[in-house]
Amino acid sequence: MNNKSKFQVIGLKDSGVTRRNTLKGAGAFAGSMALGLAAPAVHAQTKVVRFLNGEPSADSVRALRVAAAQYEKITGVQVRIDSVPGGATFQKLQASIQAGQPYDIGTLSFVGDALLLAEEKKIVPLNDLIKKYDWGPRILFPMGGNNYWYPYDYNFCWINYRKDIYGKKGLKAPTNWAGYLQNLSAVTGTGEGQLKSGVVHPLGSDDATNYSAFGYLWANDVRIFDDKWNVVIDAPDMAPLVIEYLDFMADLVKFMPPSPRQSSWANLVGDFQGDIVSHTPGTGRLVDQMNLSMPAKAANVSSFLYPSKSGKKFAVNHGYDGWVVLNTPMAQEAIKFLTWFSDEHFINFLHSSPIHYQPTRLDIYKDPRWLAHPSLETFAEILEMQKQVLSDPNIIIRSIDTEGPEPDVRAGKLFRSFALPEMVQDRLFNGKSSAEALKTAADKIRKVIA
Amino acid sequence: MRGDRAIYGIFIIGIVITTILIFYPAYHAVELSFQSRKSLISAPEWVGFANYRLVLQMPEFWEALVRGLIFSSFSIVLQIALGLSLAILLDRKLPGIALVRGLSVLPYLLPTVVVVLTFRWMLDGSTGIFSHLAQAFGYSHIAWADDPTSAMITVVVISVWVWTPFVTLACLAGLQSIPEELYEAARIDGAGAWNRFLHVTLPQLRPVLLVVLLLRTIWMFNKFDIIWLMTRGGPQHATEHLPVLAYRLAFELYDVGKGAAVSTISFLILSGFIVVYFRFFPLDQKE
Repeated sequence: MNNKSKFQVIGLKDSGVTRRNTLKGAGAFAGSMALGLAAPAVHAQTKVVRFLNGEPSADSVRALRVAAAQYEKITGVQVRIDSVPGGATFQKLQASIQAGQPYDIGTLSFVGDALLLAEEKKIVPLNDLIKKYDWGPRILFPMGGNNYWYPYDYNFCWINYRKDIYGKKGLKAPTNWAGYLQNLSAVTGTGEGQLKSGVVHPLGSDDATNYSAFGYLWANDVRIFDDKWNVVIDAPDMAPLVIEYLDFMADLVKFMPPSPRQSSWANLVGDFQGDIVSHTPGTGRLVDQMNLSMPAKAANVSSFLYPSKSGKKFAVNHGYDGWVVLNTPMAQEAIKFLTWFSDEHFINFLHSSPIHYQPTRLDIYKDPRWLAHPSLETFAEILEMQKQVLSDPNIIIRSIDTEGPEPDVRAGKLFRSFALPEMVQDRLFNGKSSAEALKTAADKIRKVIA
Repeated sequence: MRGDRAIYGIFIIGIVITTILIFYPAYHAVELSFQSRKSLISAPEWVGFANYRLVLQMPEFWEALVRGLIFSSFSIVLQIALGLSLAILLDRKLPGIALVRGLSVLPYLLPTVVVVLTFRWMLDGSTGIFSHLAQAFGYSHIAWADDPTSAMITVVVISVWVWTPFVTLACLAGLQSIPEELYEAARIDGAGAWNRFLHVTLPQLRPVLLVVLLLRTIWMFNKFDIIWLMTRGGPQHATEHLPVLAYRLAFELYDVGKGAAVSTISFLILSGFIVVYFRFFPLDQKE
């Protein structure tokens, strides 16, 4: 027993695991840990700008990487692109900040997140860069007199429809709710020129519902808050408009595929591409995707704005994405890269999804480099509609997360509370009257933002 | 002596790693529950037990607790009943049984996200295969996860589908360790199949079943991914249990402190359950 090591006694091979080796290993581990903790941030030494991209489609990532490679060749500064889905960027940014290795550039899809970062001085103003250009309406969201983000696209949500089916039935794009319901009635069924369902609308408690189900409400010119953050959605002048909307949704749901509370982003695209519905809310992403995979069918897609009951006003649900520069040692380098990128490669990036990435900068609309993309000619009707949204005073740009007098976390809380989707669910599925559903929602909104 | 030290060294390294990876995050979560902050990067403000007081006053908390109990109870009972039944079936010496045993484990091997997205696709109201089958049998539409009751049933069914193989595996291992002599003695005493199951199989499986019950309770009470991926706690909070409520408070409603308080309370409830469980069912108890 004395001649054997303990490892042999317990049946293990004596493979060199000795006290000396263990101590050596532990010492090396502790040393490397200590060195790692004491070392300055690697990117401060090697001039690396870390960029968290929220547009993970292959074409968009490629556009950013090509720009990064060229920038490195010119300046020697490396721009490292990490890509995650848009909905995951804020959490990833928070995690990077908490871990002491914040990204230098981040992507955000919600202005409330930018506000939180600005309040904590985690992002830096981009005033000089923003001042270089003219911008479209309701997109810069200044905070405390500063512009903290570079909005790179509008993601307006409107209604896409099948113009080939409309053509067969001799229909025109509707301009009010009654006309819309008539069109849906004509194109829904099992006969010639009809599809099984009319329109898909997610009606669950999720982002897809928040984004796509309330354009009709905005078109009816409903406000949720007044200029002092008072909840006015149930005020005497607003309540009838909301009740009209809820009653309209009760009519609209008859033309939807089953299980609208289960519908998701995927249904907005899949049901339309799969000939289940003739209408679907969405952005230009649908057209871009179809143009790549089924161009013949894509050529039959056109779009109209969310109509109001009266037909006097129209709306799009607001959507946007932007880049922020984080308050890191590389912030100035990050701003230099963004400044160079926005002149040299921004249009290439927009071209990676040409209809979806509707420009926020007004100069782009006149830029021959941007206009040269063939999709912009193929879908000229949609492009005209996009431009009209930016200039026509009768078109309302509104969304839950941008409601209120200025960017504020209260609008974000409202968005995430799903008070408005639940209002629709109460009316459509839970047997409440429109007035009762509105009252419940208004009470919840007051509680959420209190 | 040298070997002892090496073993102690490895043990200490294990404890250090566990402390870093488990105890510190747990401590941090508890610490967050005493703070008021909008996000993980916001400046914290110490608020003592205010978050706990506010959370316990929220009707949503108690509703989520009840839903969690419903979800975990039904899931566990069905998993154990089905898992044990399957284990007994698979404990036969039949041709090809090894293949069947292998196949029966498949659901457990699949990533949860794959399972849930596949179920979502199969249950889709427009394109789902189950919806088409329902229509083929004359039903116009079945609201799989579209109304509160069916949504809860759906997430329970998915959890049973995923986790039953774990119970089957554990019980099968237990069944194969029961000496054949016990069954022979029971047969000689005239015991039928039911009595052999009741008086031989179940008592011999007791330690396995107790561990399985404990593990399943902890895992199902904390189960987040299936519900989040399938229903996100909807429709209208019908499947929102404590883990989903904690996530929503912390990461969607800008109230990290309350989210952490819900998590800590959930942890305390489970800890209490484990203490009571071991009091009544000590694992070292011999029959």
